[in-house]
Amino acid sequence: MKRLLPLLLAVVMTLGLVACGGNSGGNSGGNSGNSGNSGNSGTTTPPADSGNDAGDTAGTSGDKSPDNDFVIAMPNDATHLDPHVSSNGYSNQITNAMYEGLLGFNEQTEVIPVLATDWSVSEDALVYTFKLREGVTFHDGETFNAEAVKAVWERGKDTSLSLNRNTKKWTDVEVLGEYEVAIHIESPDNTFINKLTQVRMVSPKAMAMDNASDYLAKNSAGTGPFKLSERVDGGYTKMVPYENYWQDGPTVDSLTFEVVPEDASRMAKLQTGEADLIYPVPVTDIERLQSESPNIIVDVRDTTIFRYVTLNTEWALPDGRKPFADKRVRQALNYAFDSEAYAKIVFNGYAKEPTSCFADTIMYHSPNTPYKADLEKAKSLMKEAGFEDGFDVEIIVDNTTIEQKGATFVMQQLSQIGVNVKLLANESTVNAEATSAPLETTTVQMWYVNWSSGSFEADGSMRSILHSDKMPPDGYNTAFWKNEEFDKLLDDALKMTDTKEIADTYAKAQAVVWEECPWMFLGNDNAIVAYQPYCTGLQFKPGDEVVVTTIGLDH
Amino acid sequence: MGRYIARRLLETIPLLLVISIFVFMFIHLLPGDPARQMAGLEAPPEEVQAIREEYNLDKPLLEQYFIYMKGLLTGDMGRSLKVKIPVSELIASRFPFTLQLVFAGLLWGPVLGILIGVISAIKRGTWVDMLGMLIAICGLSAPGFVLGLVGIQVFSVKLGWFPTGGLDGIKSLFLPSIVMGTGIMATLARYSRSSMLEVLREDYVRTARAKGQKESIVMFRHAFKNSLIQVVTILGLQIGGLLSGSVITENIFSIPGMGRLLTDSISYRDYPAIQGLLMIFALEYVLINLIVDVLYGVINPKIRFD
Repeated sequence: MKRLLPLLLAVVMTLGLVACGGNSGGNSGGNSGNSGNSGNSGTTTPPADSGNDAGDTAGTSGDKSPDNDFVIAMPNDATHLDPHVSSNGYSNQITNAMYEGLLGFNEQTEVIPVLATDWSVSEDALVYTFKLREGVTFHDGETFNAEAVKAVWERGKDTSLSLNRNTKKWTDVEVLGEYEVAIHIESPDNTFINKLTQVRMVSPKAMAMDNASDYLAKNSAGTGPFKLSERVDGGYTKMVPYENYWQDGPTVDSLTFEVVPEDASRMAKLQTGEADLIYPVPVTDIERLQSESPNIIVDVRDTTIFRYVTLNTEWALPDGRKPFADKRVRQALNYAFDSEAYAKIVFNGYAKEPTSCFADTIMYHSPNTPYKADLEKAKSLMKEAGFEDGFDVEIIVDNTTIEQKGATFVMQQLSQIGVNVKLLANESTVNAEATSAPLETTTVQMWYVNWSSGSFEADGSMRSILHSDKMPPDGYNTAFWKNEEFDKLLDDALKMTDTKEIADTYAKAQAVVWEECPWMFLGNDNAIVAYQPYCTGLQFKPGDEVVVTTIGLDH
Repeated sequence: MGRYIARRLLETIPLLLVISIFVFMFIHLLPGDPARQMAGLEAPPEEVQAIREEYNLDKPLLEQYFIYMKGLLTGDMGRSLKVKIPVSELIASRFPFTLQLVFAGLLWGPVLGILIGVISAIKRGTWVDMLGMLIAICGLSAPGFVLGLVGIQVFSVKLGWFPTGGLDGIKSLFLPSIVMGTGIMATLARYSRSSMLEVLREDYVRTARAKGQKESIVMFRHAFKNSLIQVVTILGLQIGGLLSGSVITENIFSIPGMGRLLTDSISYRDYPAIQGLLMIFALEYVLINLIVDVLYGVINPKIRFD
């Protein structure tokens, strides 16, 4: 009997392993993934091949929703429900259901009127005049008008609020009438309109309270389609449609954002029908989801996330030579890097090859000739620069699985040209501190990172990370790259008003970055959203943000 | 006994003070800048500085500690840097979920564990004992995340019997209860078996048998009751651990409990929240140890409190 025990144990453990391995193993075969996805924004990928065991899954058998409560599951919660305090992606996803700005974006990254109906710019590009929508009320019953816009500007003077980032260049808000307002800015700024989309209107009554943020953490006071009903921090945020919404709104009874940090649990929630929409879907699980639950819609969306590695141009080897100060070395690194393989291996094919220094979903993106992987060229450039024997260098990266996987790939690629990369994986807070250090004290040699501009504009996609004024601690130009031509192009474009001229200038600026390569350009990954077939009225912003204004459930 | 409890409670004050110093030091030794984290990468330096000032992060460490202690003594644990509400409120909002989870596990885990342990001890060396220990070893070696994910796949996705977790009433607690209870069950089965075996070898058990007492009385009045002392100690330690939250279970079942709050707070460098949580955890352990000590006296009146 005693001899049988280990055997029995082994059998039980094996069974256990089979039970849990079964889900992800599946028929993954080669890891080419679903790389055939077109990658276009809004591409809905219906199940590639109808899975064999359909209907095997509980809860999602019918194409009608069992209820009229829309549930969205995502891995993180909003940090704060005051739209003037928080500004990260998950916070915006939740707060944008309750708050609106004067202007917004449609799916094509075009600016559209929301609470403003029309706007005009003065000759000198210093005054923007807006006609406001009439008959709009805040959730607390206050009327939306020009005074409300002014009150938001007043609140934005508090530098500890993220709102300040978008309003600090406003010099005055002039009330021209109940429904007409003029915003004065200190200098011409082509990003003004884009930034304005991030300024959300909050009831003046709520903002005037002593602890406005505390109030707004528990009550909504916007003009959006939903108002806050209940919230468990870190658990869920439930909302109900706002009965006096100014346009045709959602048809659901409620909308709940549930926090489900574990990828597998989030997928299970969708499969059981507990959630109607989930994001992100891990790229490694797409095939399984499609074969197990063929009726679920998997939507591959383009994002604004651009991945790159900064190359500190001032960093010196122990012998005093500065490898990244030489353009040829920087270019060699880009030629040594196979961005197609990167997309396939790190993102299972759900990423795009880079053609500029920001994603093509951003306004004024201008494509350049991609750096195709060419080891011979890379080696000859290294030789020309006197680095044919390569060198040792450190790369810092956040310690999440996907980031480390990406940085490891970079390490492997560069080893082919003798550049020995040492990976330093740290928590993001630690990296944020390291990368804020000025040139004199910086320890950053290479930084594997990504950037996305919340307001979808070219300036926001380049200035903070490439302009010479934005070297740490003033920004994140950790390449410590200084290029006067580029700086001038960026500064000039900011003051322009003619869109053709702006586009030309930004195209030139991107060409300079592309040629000079202060970074290794890695790629632009997709976001995968999955939802039930009975979801209606879904729209998306160019990021992966779900626009909930008209959502419904076929039930 | 009342005096004993009062004395023990008073003793916790210097203990907590020492803990507070250690906790404060350790947290501030962690690399990383909370102000930068709060502001986000896109924030300009002015905004980061404004946040630093608002939360006293620009002050010398000693001063920060005194500000913190001054607040703590007046019952103010500070404000969370991340969610910007008072830490006490934050913890109070999360604690019930962890408590729920612990109760869900305690509902069946200890009872079944002790039962398996005692029966295994009584039937030592037989197939019953083997089976009991097989269950215990499986329970101990199956990681929580495997049990949880397999449970979700089988009972939620395939069979559709229970929700995948979340905060949707009693039904959603079923799967978490299995995961939480399994660990307790397995540990207690092992300990109660060995403890029972030890007691069964004692002279007083032999004496009881020699007196001709019924075997059931020997087992339960003499042996089982005495074996409980060790079991209660282990159970106390287990509950102490569980009350500080089970990160894995909470993550898998999407429950916003204390474990998740702690990991989130650490990765965000939310100093006040980490401090508050660690202080509460320390207090929990102190109280549970006290309860365990008091229970000793209840189980064995010979143990005196002086």
